[in-house]
Amino acid sequence: MIYGDKDLGVIVQNITGRQGRFHTELMNDYAREVGGRGVIAGAAPGKGGQEVYGVPVYNTVREALREHDAAASVIFVPAMAAADAIMEAAHAGIELAVVITEHIPVHDTMKAIAYAKLHDCTVIGPNSPGLLSPGECKLGIMPAHLATRGGVGVISRSGTLTYEVVDELTRAGIGQSTVVGIGGDPVVGQTFVDVLARFEDDPRTEAVVIIGEVGGNLEEEGVRSTDLPVVAYVAGVSAPPEKRMGHAGAIIEGGEGDARSKARRISALGVPVASRPSEIPGLIRGVL
Amino acid sequence: MKLLEYEAKEIFSKYGIPVPKGVFIRAPEEITAHLPDIGDAVVLKAQVDVGGRGKAGGVLFAEGAEAAGTARELFSREIRGVPVRGILAEEKLSIEHEYYVSIAVDRSSRQPVILFADAGGVDIESAALADGSAVRRAVVSPLLREIPAFLMRYLLGGAPKELAPTINRLYHVFREKDAMLAEINPLVTTPEGVYAADAKLIIDDNALARQGIAVNRDLSEREREAEKHGFSYVELDGSIGVIGNGAGLTMSTLDLIEYYQGRAANFLDVGGGADQERVMHAVRLVASMPGVNVIVVNLLGGITRCDEVAKGIIAADVSPTIVVRMAGTNEEEGRQLLAERGYRMLESMDAAIRAALEVSA
Repeated sequence: MIYGDKDLGVIVQNITGRQGRFHTELMNDYAREVGGRGVIAGAAPGKGGQEVYGVPVYNTVREALREHDAAASVIFVPAMAAADAIMEAAHAGIELAVVITEHIPVHDTMKAIAYAKLHDCTVIGPNSPGLLSPGECKLGIMPAHLATRGGVGVISRSGTLTYEVVDELTRAGIGQSTVVGIGGDPVVGQTFVDVLARFEDDPRTEAVVIIGEVGGNLEEEGVRSTDLPVVAYVAGVSAPPEKRMGHAGAIIEGGEGDARSKARRISALGVPVASRPSEIPGLIRGVL
Repeated sequence: MKLLEYEAKEIFSKYGIPVPKGVFIRAPEEITAHLPDIGDAVVLKAQVDVGGRGKAGGVLFAEGAEAAGTARELFSREIRGVPVRGILAEEKLSIEHEYYVSIAVDRSSRQPVILFADAGGVDIESAALADGSAVRRAVVSPLLREIPAFLMRYLLGGAPKELAPTINRLYHVFREKDAMLAEINPLVTTPEGVYAADAKLIIDDNALARQGIAVNRDLSEREREAEKHGFSYVELDGSIGVIGNGAGLTMSTLDLIEYYQGRAANFLDVGGGADQERVMHAVRLVASMPGVNVIVVNLLGGITRCDEVAKGIIAADVSPTIVVRMAGTNEEEGRQLLAERGYRMLESMDAAIRAALEVSA
């Protein structure tokens, strides 16, 4: 519930695209299930006046917000136009932009995040599966049926690996407060530090699972920043150097960011590190 | 994508960064015609994408007429196993002092970060680690087109002000060329002025198209095939083939194989919406790797249709044993289809990998 609850009004940018259309329906299925507001409007240039599963479409974010009370936007805009979409949302008054799009050039992302900050707009992603607060709201593409409501926060750079961990937790009877996919790109709007700060202010969250991977050192920075009980898992101990492992940000460069040393440094801070996803529920029980 | 030094220097030069007089040659005798321009003292630098090139014998010096012979010697070498296909022949500079400057993407602050050091040269990385104070660091807002003067003064410290225009132009290169890293090491002062003696430029793979840069990597046939289907694919040296969806889950699958003391043959992420056709191509691709006798297929996600995946595996019809772990919609149909053809479908990642290891052993 750290970014919004049932009452959060959501718009979708590029709602008329294949992905936007498909996930608008799934997000609203979930909203109906939990009694939330869900996606109440969409934006797509030149498509104003259409409807997507009963959701009205506007040409611009500004027009959508004139007619509807929404604070968040889920962005499915293609890579070369996505940074512009983030800035459009921030400029129109959106407070939370969740960017699903992959392959946005990093310089575009840096500029869009800096611009959004000037307008007090928080950016999650890019290259993110979105976020899910079980029983409250879902923004993005996470499969909601794997999750169950509870007290463990999950922060991850990955999509499917997050589902794996959430599935493990749920099967072990451990519910989640909010699951946040911060995105697999080198530069993302919300890092582990930012999400952990929100979890600290969230009365529901008792402990946090951090799912990291090769590349950078932001997992360690996150662990250092928080007082919450944390369990970590770092994917990519078998990744060779200088090879990009799928995600744009998943690369060991100049000897920095390999999973083994990352796990070692996190472990040295007193945080249990799982050597495989199936160990995570047991470790979480140990810190609760 | 990392550009070669001569490609980076061509770009630097267009942005007004002074580079030594030089020429890129593909054969030793080409150098002779250029000697009048370059001068008698020549540096020959192998254009290979290899770190520590100088120490590995990739840089040679020559005087006048002997240059062609020295070039021939360099062309005959392998630098850390990489054959020399091109050489950058440059004038030898009269270096007074060496500096280091780089501009990179800082993941933590989400902004460009500039590093400057009073001492450049081959061992700058270890020097920076040994003495953090020798390197000055500043982040710049990505919304700014120029490095603000106050930041430039801080970066330079006591270094000559005449370096500032070059550093600012490097920032222009970084911004306008979608660079992940733009580096000059060493940046040198000579009696004739400031020069970028070396050049490093890494371009964001997601911006290559708009930068008009053709990807010139040497791809194997399988890598080309993977690229055609949009798979993320990396070859490793083990015998257990891996197909996953999503980069994180696929990496985690490789790690788990290592955890159980097996060795993965590859990383292959089929991406989202794995349908019959994509799964079939992925299975055939991995099965075509020599030495692969078992393939782990690990697919998870709300929208993965398990019956589609099963049909893809069956349609691929390959000889290595296939062990499947999948979760999504139509799981039962998928399981049944696979069972009818004698494929094993397991409930968890751990179980699937243990089963694969039994086959592989």
